Amino acid sequence: MSMQTFKEWFFTTDHKRIGIMYLIGSMTAFVVAGMMALLIRLEQSQLGPTITDNPNEYNQWLYFHGAAMVLAFLIPGLTGFFANYFLPLMIGAQDVAFPRINAFSIWLFYGAIILALLSFVIPDPPDIMWTGYPPYSITTMGNTAYYVFTLHLLGFSSVLGAVNFLVTVIYMRAPGIGWNQLNIFTWTTVAAFVLQLVFIPVLASAVTMLLFDKYLGTNFFNPEAGGDVLLYQNLFWFYSHPAVYVIFLPAVGILFEIFTTMCKNRVFNYKACVYGGIWGIVGISGFVWVHHLYVSGMPDWLRIGQMVTTLLISVPVGLMVMSMWGTLYKAAITFNTGMLYAISCLFLVLSGGLTGIPLALTAITVHLSETSFVHAHFHFIMAMFSAFAMFGGIYYWFPKMFGRYADGKWATTGFILNIVGVHVTFVPLFIIGAQGMPRRYWDYQMFPQFEPYHQVATLGAFMVAAGMSVTILNWIICAFKGKVAPENPWKSCSLEWTHAPNCPQAGNFPNPPTVTADWSPYGYADREANLKATTDPGFPGAAKPAE
Amino acid sequence: MSAESSHAHEHHWEWSQAPFWVVAGVFFLVPLTFAAYFQYQNPLLAAIFAGLGTPMLLAGIAMWVNEGLTVKPLIADVAGIGLPIFIISEIFIFLSFFVAYWMMRLGADVWPPEGTPEFPVTLPLIMTVVLLSSSVTIHIAEEKYAHNDHGGFVKWLIFTMLLGLMFISMTFYEYNHLFHEEFYPDTNAFGTIFFSLTGFHASHVIGGLGIFVCVLIPALRGLTNKTFITCASIYWHFVDVVWFFVVSQIYFW
Repeated sequence: MSMQTFKEWFFTTDHKRIGIMYLIGSMTAFVVAGMMALLIRLEQSQLGPTITDNPNEYNQWLYFHGAAMVLAFLIPGLTGFFANYFLPLMIGAQDVAFPRINAFSIWLFYGAIILALLSFVIPDPPDIMWTGYPPYSITTMGNTAYYVFTLHLLGFSSVLGAVNFLVTVIYMRAPGIGWNQLNIFTWTTVAAFVLQLVFIPVLASAVTMLLFDKYLGTNFFNPEAGGDVLLYQNLFWFYSHPAVYVIFLPAVGILFEIFTTMCKNRVFNYKACVYGGIWGIVGISGFVWVHHLYVSGMPDWLRIGQMVTTLLISVPVGLMVMSMWGTLYKAAITFNTGMLYAISCLFLVLSGGLTGIPLALTAITVHLSETSFVHAHFHFIMAMFSAFAMFGGIYYWFPKMFGRYADGKWATTGFILNIVGVHVTFVPLFIIGAQGMPRRYWDYQMFPQFEPYHQVATLGAFMVAAGMSVTILNWIICAFKGKVAPENPWKSCSLEWTHAPNCPQAGNFPNPPTVTADWSPYGYADREANLKATTDPGFPGAAKPAE
Repeated sequence: MSAESSHAHEHHWEWSQAPFWVVAGVFFLVPLTFAAYFQYQNPLLAAIFAGLGTPMLLAGIAMWVNEGLTVKPLIADVAGIGLPIFIISEIFIFLSFFVAYWMMRLGADVWPPEGTPEFPVTLPLIMTVVLLSSSVTIHIAEEKYAHNDHGGFVKWLIFTMLLGLMFISMTFYEYNHLFHEEFYPDTNAFGTIFFSLTGFHASHVIGGLGIFVCVLIPALRGLTNKTFITCASIYWHFVDVVWFFVVSQIYFW
C-alpha cells in the first residue's frame, strides 16, 4: 500500500470509507463483547465457581459485554456504518455536509473503543455495568472515570454525527426529492439522529455529575448533603430508554429497504408508517423512561401514567409492523440471505414486543423486574431483532459495497445456527426468569433447580458463536473472493442502486441524479415510468428506461 | 483535502489529518490525564499525558482552521445551520444541570443549606453587563466585516475578547472569594450546583474565546471566512443567553 493510499484510507473524510471504518470498529466490538457473553454463559453453566472464583472478574465481563454491545456495536453500527455508507447514496448526495466532522466522529468512536479495551489491562478496571448506578459507581475502587469518558467520547461522536446528518438530509437531497419521496431508512435514521441530538446531552450530564461526585467530592447523588440518588437513574434512563429507539428505528429502516426490494412492492401505508410510526415513537420516547425505575419507588400517579405511555409505544410500533406485513402481502417474494434475516426479524419483534407488555404493567413488573425475564426480553429486541436487521442489511448491500455477493450455503448455515442458537439461549431464560432467576448474578446457589436451563442457554450461546464465526468469515472471504455481482443485482428502484455503481468511487455518482415528483424509491409498480422520472445514471450496466 | 492530494481527476478521495490529531489530543488530554491524576493518583503520569496531548490538540486545531479557511466546502454556508442544531444539544446539557438544581432545591427543607455564605449582588450584575456588551461588540465586528472594514472587524473582535477575559477574571475572583469563606463544591448541595453551573458556563466562555483566537490569528494575516465568523458569533450569543438563566436562577432566586 503506497503512502498515498494509506493516507486516503486512514485520514479519509469520505462517507463510504468512514462507513467501512465504522463497520470494522463496531464488528470488532461485537466480537470482543460476544466473547464476554460466552464467558458469562460458561460461568453460569454450573452452580458455584465455574471458570472464575472472583465475582469482580465476572462483573467486568458484564460491564464490557453490556457497554460494548449497546454503545460500541449497535449504535455505531446502525447510525455510524449504515447511515454513513448508505444515507448519502440514497438521497443522491456526493458526501455528507461536514466531511471533516464526520472523520472527527469516527476518531472519537475509536477513542472510546480504545478506552473500553484498555479496561482489560489497567488496574482497577470499571465494574459498574453499562448503567453505572450510584452509590456503587462512586464508592467502588474501580475506574469509573474511564466509563464516564467512554460515554463522553461516544456521545460527542453521536451528537456531531446527528448534526452532520440532519444538515445533510435537509440540504443535500438530490434536486426534486420531496419529503414523501425519502426512503424509510432515511426517515428512520433522521428520527434516530433527532433522538441522539436531544437525549445524549442528558446522559453526558448525568455521567459528568457522577465523575464530579466520585473525584471532586460534589453532592449531586449524595442524599446526606442534599443530593438525590434517584436523579442519576432519571437522567440516565431519560437518554437510555430513547437509545433503544436509536437502535430500533434504523433497524426497522433496513428491514423496509430489504422487504420492498425483495417483494418488488411499495411501502404499505407509507405516510402512516413515517408520520405515525417513526415520528410517533420520537414523540412518545421522552415520556416513558420512568418504567426503568418502577422498583426504585415513585408515587402512583407517575407509575400509572408511565405505564400508559409505555403501552402507548406499541401503537407507533404497530403501525410500522403493519406496514411491513402489508408490504409482504400478496407480493412475489425473492428469498435470499438478507431476506431470511429480515423475515426472522418479523418474528423476533413480535416475541420481543409481546414479552415487553408484562414488564410495562406495574402490577406484574415488580415480580419480573431484575430477573432474567427482563434480560431475555431486551435481548430479543436489541440483540436479536436489531442485530439480525443489521446482518440482513449487510447481505442486502454487500454487492453495493464490494461488488460481490455474500449469499450462499455458508451464509445460510450461519443464519440457521444464529436463529436457532438465539432461541435456545433466551427461551430458557424467559422460563427461569418468570420463576425468579435474578439477572446479573455471578452465581445462583439459592436456585439449584435452574442449572439445567442455564446449561441449555450456554449451549445456545455456543451455537450463536459458531453461527457468527461462519457469518463473519463468510463476509471477509466474500468481500475479496465472492461471486461478482452485476449492477443493481436485486433490481431495486432506490437511488443507491440505480444511480451509483457498485463500489462507488469518490463523488458517488458518475451523473448526480435529479428526480421529478413522479419518482419514488419504491416505484416498482411501473419501473419504466419511475426510471424516466430521473436523469440518466450514466455508467455501464445501469438500468435505463426504454426510449 | 490537503494540497498534495490534488489530482487532475474531477473527483478524488478526500482526506484530512486534522480530525485525527484533535481527537488524539483530546484523548490524551482528558480521559488519560484525568484518570492518571484522580483515579491512579500519579501526577507524573498525568503530566506526561497532558504534555503529549496538548501539542497534538493544538496542531490538529491549527490544521483544521487552516483547511477551513483555504479549502472550498462541498456545499456553502450550511455551517450556519449546523451550529444552531448543535446548540440544541448544548441546551439540553444545561437543562440537565438545571433539573438537578431544581430537584435539589425544591426537595430541600431549608434553602440555601447550612454553610452557604452571603452572596454578592453587585458582581453578578457587573458580569451580566460585561457579557451583554461583548455580544454587542461581536455584532459590531460582524457588521464591520460585512462592510469590508477589515481593520474595524479585528478591532471590535479584540474588544469582544477583552470583555470575555474580563468576565472570566471576575468569575475567578468570585471563586477565590468564596473559597476564602470556606465554600467549596463539596460544602453542600448549593456549593455543588453553584460551582458546576457557573463553572460549566465559564468553560463555555473559555471555549468561545478559544474560537475567537482561531478567528483572530488568521484574520491578522488577512485570512477570514464569513461562515466561520457567523458561527463564532452565534456561539457567543448562545453563551450570553445561557448566562441570563444561570444568573437569574443562582443569584436572584
